Amino acid sequence: MPSGPAHRLVAPYADALLARDLPALDPARRADTVEFVATRVSTLPTPMFLGVTVIAWVFDLLLRLGSRRSFISLSTRIPIPFVSEYPRLIRSLAVAYVWERWPDTRPDGGRAPVVP
Amino acid sequence: MSLAHDPFGPADHIEVEVLIVGSGAGGAPTAALLAEAGFEVLVVEEGSWVDQGAVKPFSLEQMARQYRSGGVTVALGRPAVAYTEGRCAGGGTEVNSGLYKRPPHEVLDAWRTDYRIADLDLGEIDAIADEVERDLSVSYVPGETTAASRALARGAEALGWRTGEIPRWMAYPERGDALSGRRQSMTVTYLPRAVAAGAALATDVRVERLEIVDGTARAAIVTRADGRRGRISFRHVFVCGGAIQTPALLQRSGLHRRIGDRLAVHPTVKLAAKFREQVNVDDDVPVHQVTEFFPHASFGGSASQAGLVALALNDNWRAFNREIIDWRRMSVYYAAITSEGRGRVRAVPGLRDPVVTYHLTRNDRALLGASLGRLALAMLAAGAEEVFPSFRGAPIVRRPADVARLESGFRADRASVMTVHLCSTVPLGEDPTRCGADSHGRIHGTTNVRVNDASLLPTAPGVNPQATVMAIAIRNVRRFIEETRVG
Repeated sequence: MPSGPAHRLVAPYADALLARDLPALDPARRADTVEFVATRVSTLPTPMFLGVTVIAWVFDLLLRLGSRRSFISLSTRIPIPFVSEYPRLIRSLAVAYVWERWPDTRPDGGRAPVVP
Repeated sequence: MSLAHDPFGPADHIEVEVLIVGSGAGGAPTAALLAEAGFEVLVVEEGSWVDQGAVKPFSLEQMARQYRSGGVTVALGRPAVAYTEGRCAGGGTEVNSGLYKRPPHEVLDAWRTDYRIADLDLGEIDAIADEVERDLSVSYVPGETTAASRALARGAEALGWRTGEIPRWMAYPERGDALSGRRQSMTVTYLPRAVAAGAALATDVRVERLEIVDGTARAAIVTRADGRRGRISFRHVFVCGGAIQTPALLQRSGLHRRIGDRLAVHPTVKLAAKFREQVNVDDDVPVHQVTEFFPHASFGGSASQAGLVALALNDNWRAFNREIIDWRRMSVYYAAITSEGRGRVRAVPGLRDPVVTYHLTRNDRALLGASLGRLALAMLAAGAEEVFPSFRGAPIVRRPADVARLESGFRADRASVMTVHLCSTVPLGEDPTRCGADSHGRIHGTTNVRVNDASLLPTAPGVNPQATVMAIAIRNVRRFIEETRVG
């Protein structure tokens, strides 16, 4: 499991965003998805990685300081250029991974019922 | 099976006659023709060798193994333009759609005049295109195309728009179908040819910079697979790393004049269309394109496995997410435009990767919105029940009247704009105000540094550029062989 600085900065926000967007995604799948997102962020091209790291640091700080729930909700609606790309990046990576890995996942993240 | 080997052995310095940096659509034919002409050739590729079929096409695993930075690369701007670059033996030819379009004569004509390209003979380019089409088995799908592809054609025909199947560099077995083709990428065509003629291929070798003294490059400083540095001396070098990595390498080597200033792309916006019947193909792309609005815009189909459908819905996830359960009835389509905008590639000292920017003009933004609206209209005409455009705040389009809402609500800043066609960062020609390379790809002010890839195309050609890249590369390398042999 990645444990570099990028992972430590990205994982809490990615986890919180997934918990809101896909509330029924079970913890093992959520952890797997967060790991994928953090790994991909750590391989971004250097200039992009540096920018994302700064934004991730600020998001991480705000996540710790305020109400987790309201910050996550607010963070996806921030109209500031570049900053607004961060939640979009995290969610893009997450949904692409979840539905590629488990294509029959329900919209809330739950497992599709097994058809006998 | 990999054709690559470590050319260094225990040494950290080797010498070759010709070094080729990059093994994609420009580098591979360059290597094959030079080796067949008797040159001693070494091709170095930053990525790894991945056998065809080893990873699922358009999957996240493919992105991790064969794309630069896992496929997450962005040109900064408002909006940012996401792009992808192949990073593996064979370059982009291993991972792209495989669609083939000859270089349009009107585009070549305009380049020749506007950029003062000497000896750009349309008959010669056509003859090379014939040759490439044979070498790559360019062909149409045998029998029926996929349901997603037919849907696009059906919608365009219902509206009276020009549409057609685009051939691909695919070899199909006898009685094969749309999904049975084998991609005729560089790892199964020009690279084996090059190696058979005596060229060497080294993968997982990154060229950090070229040592250039008084306009003549002497050696390349490289980082090898095991992290050790190496030095490759040469007489000639062809830089074929693609429109982002080529200018970045030249800049790291001290070459800046007209390098990396004029990045051109085909910006693309997309939508997901939901039909009554199952249309999704999760490991291939539609082969039809709508050409009614060429050269300004064209429409086609994208890879659409479930993860990519989710990605297409992502801009309005809260409103659109319930649709994901129907991904088998959905397919993703794109509208690509010929952009007036330009971008830049800048190597920054101390950073491994360059900064890439792209600026869309006001006309580009309007054209993207109008094109997305027309594409939605075609989807409805094809029988789509619902269309989900990929921009924040987009309406669901269920009837033609909704298209006006789509167009009026479209803002490029809110859209997921992307591109896979990158070119023009080292335009060729004799116009000193715009061209980084001469009419045959030699960097102005150098004696032996040549570029031979998409960077040379003066503008984005309005069609899939691989055929144009290969035709220009083969033309240039033949000229080099003639001149060098005579010299």
